[in-house]
Amino acid sequence: MSSLSQVVESVGNYNRFVSQQMTRARTQRKFARSLVQRWHKIKAQIETTESPTGTALPRLALPQTDEPGEVARYLFGEGLPGEFPFANAAYREMYLSSDKSEIRNPKSEIEEPTRLFAGLGLAEDTNARFHYLSKHQKSVRLSTAFDGPTLYGLDSDYEGVLGKVGEGGVAVDTVEDMERLYAGFDLTDKNSSVSMTINAPAPAILAMYVAAAKRRFGPRVVEQLRGTIQADILKEVQAQNEMIFPVEAALRFLTDMAEYTTQHMPRWYPISISGYHIAEAGATPVQQAAFTLSNGFAYVDMFKTRGMDVNQFGPRLSFFLDSGLDIEYLVLGRVCRRIWAIGMRDVFKADPRAQLLKLHTQTSGRSLIAAEFKNNLTRTAVELMMAYINSTNSCHSNSADEPFTTPTEEYVRLASHAQSIILEETGLFKQMMNVFGGSPGLQILERQVEQQILDVFTEIEQLGGVLPAMEQRYQRSQIQQAAHTYEKQINSGHRPVIGLNKYASEETMPSPKLERTLPVKQKAQVARLHAFKKKHAKKAAVALQRLENVCRSGGNVFAELLNAVEVCSLGQITTALQGCVGRFRPMV
Amino acid sequence: MNARRKPPLRILTAVPICDGHDSPIITINLELARHGVEVIYLGYNCPASAIARAAVQEDVHAIGISSYNGGHIAFFDEVVGCLHKYGGQRIPLFGGGGGTITPQDEAVMKRRGVDRIFFAGTPLQEIVSTVIKHYSRPLNRQRGLHGDRKMARAITVAESSKSELRSPKQAPNRKLQIVNRKSFVAGVTGPGGAGKSTLIDELVRRYLQQHPQGRVAVLANDPSHPDSGGAILGDRASMIYAQHDRVFMRSLATRGHLSGLSSATRAALEILKSSGEVDFIFVESVGIGQESDPFQLFGRRRRLVDASLLVMSPYYGGRIQLQKIGLLNGADFVAINKCDQPAAKTAKAEIAERLEANQRGQKLFGTIAARHGDPGVDALYAAIEEKANRQ
Repeated sequence: MSSLSQVVESVGNYNRFVSQQMTRARTQRKFARSLVQRWHKIKAQIETTESPTGTALPRLALPQTDEPGEVARYLFGEGLPGEFPFANAAYREMYLSSDKSEIRNPKSEIEEPTRLFAGLGLAEDTNARFHYLSKHQKSVRLSTAFDGPTLYGLDSDYEGVLGKVGEGGVAVDTVEDMERLYAGFDLTDKNSSVSMTINAPAPAILAMYVAAAKRRFGPRVVEQLRGTIQADILKEVQAQNEMIFPVEAALRFLTDMAEYTTQHMPRWYPISISGYHIAEAGATPVQQAAFTLSNGFAYVDMFKTRGMDVNQFGPRLSFFLDSGLDIEYLVLGRVCRRIWAIGMRDVFKADPRAQLLKLHTQTSGRSLIAAEFKNNLTRTAVELMMAYINSTNSCHSNSADEPFTTPTEEYVRLASHAQSIILEETGLFKQMMNVFGGSPGLQILERQVEQQILDVFTEIEQLGGVLPAMEQRYQRSQIQQAAHTYEKQINSGHRPVIGLNKYASEETMPSPKLERTLPVKQKAQVARLHAFKKKHAKKAAVALQRLENVCRSGGNVFAELLNAVEVCSLGQITTALQGCVGRFRPMV
Repeated sequence: MNARRKPPLRILTAVPICDGHDSPIITINLELARHGVEVIYLGYNCPASAIARAAVQEDVHAIGISSYNGGHIAFFDEVVGCLHKYGGQRIPLFGGGGGTITPQDEAVMKRRGVDRIFFAGTPLQEIVSTVIKHYSRPLNRQRGLHGDRKMARAITVAESSKSELRSPKQAPNRKLQIVNRKSFVAGVTGPGGAGKSTLIDELVRRYLQQHPQGRVAVLANDPSHPDSGGAILGDRASMIYAQHDRVFMRSLATRGHLSGLSSATRAALEILKSSGEVDFIFVESVGIGQESDPFQLFGRRRRLVDASLLVMSPYYGGRIQLQKIGLLNGADFVAINKCDQPAAKTAKAEIAERLEANQRGQKLFGTIAARHGDPGVDALYAAIEEKANRQ
């Protein structure tokens, strides 16, 4: 029996355990008494606060009941925020205003959830955007988008990619670009966090990041670096299609990297297990959650097979989900946290730190449309609300102009402020924790969504597990089918899209400002790359040979990449590795 | 299928290099095929040169490119440039990219040779009907064509004539059956899903590595949809090493011909052989069943191929089933692909026994085509190469 069916079984067992506790609470007086006592104690400890208009509020909202069965359902079934099975939240006080910081438990974690994904033009352009975005932020929170050639491990001088250099993300060819990209930010600060959205070439890109940081802060910086690299190979194969090596080799390179960071970079998240791209490619919310979680469990299996300790790498796994407009999104994060916690605890015997699903959410890009595009502001606001109801640990909000351009400053600012308005201006999340958790609608949805996710797990299990199912194109075909249904629903009007198939005006296409990379910049990047290659030609040949040797002999490729990136470009590294392991063959 | 139906429209679709957004184009592919179009799908992350080369070799009526990652002006420019280079400058190019392509971009792109852009919000039906209406022009027997363009057009003519495999007398290219007999034809067949395309691609890769000058052709057959007459011909998307200037690849839809091959296959082989341009030809049949004999290994008709390879998966359903597969008597080579599957060991033993009973010196190989540099594929390639050298 593979771990996935064990997860299904353990969630079933846990649900039965919760029911038993409820029955016990209702039938055994002694148990009921101790439970209600504990409940009262918890309630008594909750601090109170006040809304700006003078309403007294507890900082944590709990069900208004003393009925022992219901108390058992809540405490065991959902858990207090920050307690197993973590349905309500990963931490006790997620976004609560820190006005009362002096009396708050100093250990409790406070989230600064806003992350704005940025990347455009050359490294110095993105660097400027980062400085613009972080002007009002307390901590450095940089989230990096790379351009197409970088995502495919190609250099900017590769035949036919010039037009894509710096489009939709930043162009990074060498360690020198990486130095420019984060210039001026203190990467050693314990609150700095850098995230990089890149997958197949992730090991080379992270190696460049480490090398660039070492150049600026010295060799001891490595263990201080804090951040996340996406590096989710499974979802690339299933949905996003940015693959460059055969699956087996790509997973090996990822494991090499995870092994290294677990040992040497204790503050680094070497993988962000992502449902976002699965959803954007067409998956339903349930499919998104099911494929993402099952991928997560597959990585745990893989890392364990490598001999890594689940309690060491477990806390360094993070998750990334989409938040769209369908109602299931109201509970997606909640349900995922619960399944993950139960699976990690009961199947993988992980300790509490490794049971916690840490969630990044992004609002849905697919839900945004070009027609009457300012409606996208409303769509994104609603999606943000749902992300926060799910107590996401961090969040990116899309810009309304994304259907036609890399976001321009005007709309990036609006997107960023949308988060501030919801978190800081409204009273929804800052005075009282858990405003919505436990509501009848959420409970119904949670049960339904959880069961559907487990059903998908069972289907995957019947195909032999995540990797065999993937070889049989199960996830891809499910996603494509869902995408097709979605399109049909829009075409038939069954799924209303305001401004497109409902209440559409005859307004012509908007011609807003576009953020495009100028050809002169693209050429400058190529010139810079050529200079780098020329300068290091001799050393690069030696470094690439060493890299190939390590790759062929089964050594840790990531450790060798840390040396190679000093003198080799991304494209040179990709070519050398492809020479050893072959190229990715797309599944159609 | 109605034999009098006029030849289907052939459209090449692709997503540009460094772009993996294939969901919209897959939806469009399905819709086009449902309306009787033969869609040759090149996949995502496609270089401009591969698109132009494929368009010429496939002799399509038009090319559709779905671009979502930006840089479309430069990319479409490059496709236009490559079409000139490969001699396909007359092939119209259309595209779309949701909201990423603006009306201002469209104006620039049209000036530079792009025929049409579909903007965000264009209903699927409208895209399909516009494509069918505007690109359904007959492809003439153009004179003065050279190289790939000439072979491609000759195959188009053979495909759209009434010629039948069974009656080679009517083949339109009899006159061409003259000069070059040196090209070796290997037929590859087997049940659907056994991994024929992947295996051929790996064989092509080995051929290209070992013959720095040689040129190879691939005729990839896929079934037409029995109702609409359309087809999605997607072999190019997964045959990554065959997207190469030294490979001439052509995707053929069976158009209702039920033998496992397009009725134009014999003619196409004659065209390729007599062109003097290719040294080695792979013909891939559609996925076949127990009674099939796509390469006419049995009976009195002239064999279509010089060597035949039957690709099987380890899951064929038991020893008795093997007795029903006639091709196990005729194939020169048998490959059990996906040899890493648990069932492979039994399959190898049972098939070996079955072949031994034939006493024809047929060779059996265990392969894992999906694995890079698989030694089983190396051995298979060496055996085919050896047979070709003896020819």
